[in-house]
Amino acid sequence: MADVSTQVSASLEALTQEFDIITHNLANVSTAGYKRRCSSFSSMLDDQQDAAATALDFSQGNLVETGRTLDVALYGKGFFVIETPDGPLYTRHGVFRANQNGQIVDSEGRSLAGASGPLAIPTTTDISQVTVSQGGRISADGALIGQFRIVDFAGKEDQLETVGFCCFRAPQDVPPRDVEDVVVKQGYQEASNVEIVDELVGMIMVSRMYEANMRLLSIKKDTTNSVISVAMG
Amino acid sequence: MLKAFSTASTGMMAQQMLVDVIANNLANVNTTGFKQSQIEFQDLLYARQKEAGTEVAPGINAPTGLEIGSGVRVASTLKIFSLGEFRNTGRNMDIAIRGDGFLQVVMPNGDIRYSRDGSLQVNANGQVVSMTGYTIEPALTIPTEAAAVDIGPDGGINVTDQAGVRSVVGQIQLARFPNPSGLQSQGDNLYAPTDASGDAVVGIPGQDGFGAIQSGFLEKSNVHMVNELVNLITAQRAYEINSRAIKAGDEMLRNTNNVF
Repeated sequence: MADVSTQVSASLEALTQEFDIITHNLANVSTAGYKRRCSSFSSMLDDQQDAAATALDFSQGNLVETGRTLDVALYGKGFFVIETPDGPLYTRHGVFRANQNGQIVDSEGRSLAGASGPLAIPTTTDISQVTVSQGGRISADGALIGQFRIVDFAGKEDQLETVGFCCFRAPQDVPPRDVEDVVVKQGYQEASNVEIVDELVGMIMVSRMYEANMRLLSIKKDTTNSVISVAMG
Repeated sequence: MLKAFSTASTGMMAQQMLVDVIANNLANVNTTGFKQSQIEFQDLLYARQKEAGTEVAPGINAPTGLEIGSGVRVASTLKIFSLGEFRNTGRNMDIAIRGDGFLQVVMPNGDIRYSRDGSLQVNANGQVVSMTGYTIEPALTIPTEAAAVDIGPDGGINVTDQAGVRSVVGQIQLARFPNPSGLQSQGDNLYAPTDASGDAVVGIPGQDGFGAIQSGFLEKSNVHMVNELVNLITAQRAYEINSRAIKAGDEMLRNTNNVF
């Protein structure tokens, strides 16, 4: 009987974790470029492993039109590259802006990498006159000023580390490689790929399984009680 | 306690802020020169409980780690400076800017603020002032004997006197910024420059990328009501699902309490 409570407590811990992951997905249902996490909890039940894992689901989010010049969405593979003092970060959150010098930066003011050096819009150009071609080439007033550096990870995307604020960091053994055949849509944002219904179903499942585990505990309590009462006469 | 409570509450807060932004956009659907705001969400930091790539058995690395996120944050609100529709008013002193550029408005303390609201007025001294009564930079004065005033596409102010003689009495200048999204909204259709917006560059309408002046028109708000309503519905649903997550977490804890 003793191992019922240990098993129950292990599965309760995993269920709580799964619930945390679902709530995090739900909190980010409106975050552009967010990629949902799925917990491989069910596989843990099969394999009797003692640690769960979270995997990233890189499926494409819907493209939502915003009409903003520096909102760019990737359709299909690829990541934008953001330069930071601690090395490059990768993101699909294509909401950029120009800083006071015309450089294209993210919301933290970190500059975006171009295929050949940083990207800067001439300060004499009206921001609405900036166009981005499908291949990621940026033109201001019709003159080419650069190209977004877009990379992928040759199928190893799920090994990226999430660092928050919609950015990923690549571990040493997952080198980025530049890709050419990308689809960049200007004036669009890639919506979060969280599906409310799927998460809701997951949430119901977690809370019912939690309940079932609790019932096990309470049955165990009852049987222990009756055993004790028989023994005590 | 469940981490899910704080995570779901960040989701509710974010959606609430989205509704606030949408409400302000909708409230200004008829405001001259108003520019809609857009909110930017980002996911929050992750608690990494297990690294990806750790060795689970000799020569075998875990392909994925265990990372649990802590919700969402509002990174910024962005002003969208797309052109609004032009509304014909027939009033000569109403101007719309057909492209980039802001009118420069002098505040009582001498600071300059920037505006897209072109409903210019003439005060008792003949000075050209904004809707709220602040003077325009460079200072423009309409002679009292003028019979008619018109404003050209290049911002030149022409007056016709009683005898029918036309003369140029002033020139409207516009200002532009490297990063207009970095401007600070001040209310009253005014924007203040910041370190992020960069320094204003002043020029003549219709030249060097500045928009030309269209007299007799006003620029309407660039808010699209239908888009905002769709956003409002999604925000409401997202708020609902986050509150449901809190309720589900609450039920789980109640279950725990009922056992003992």
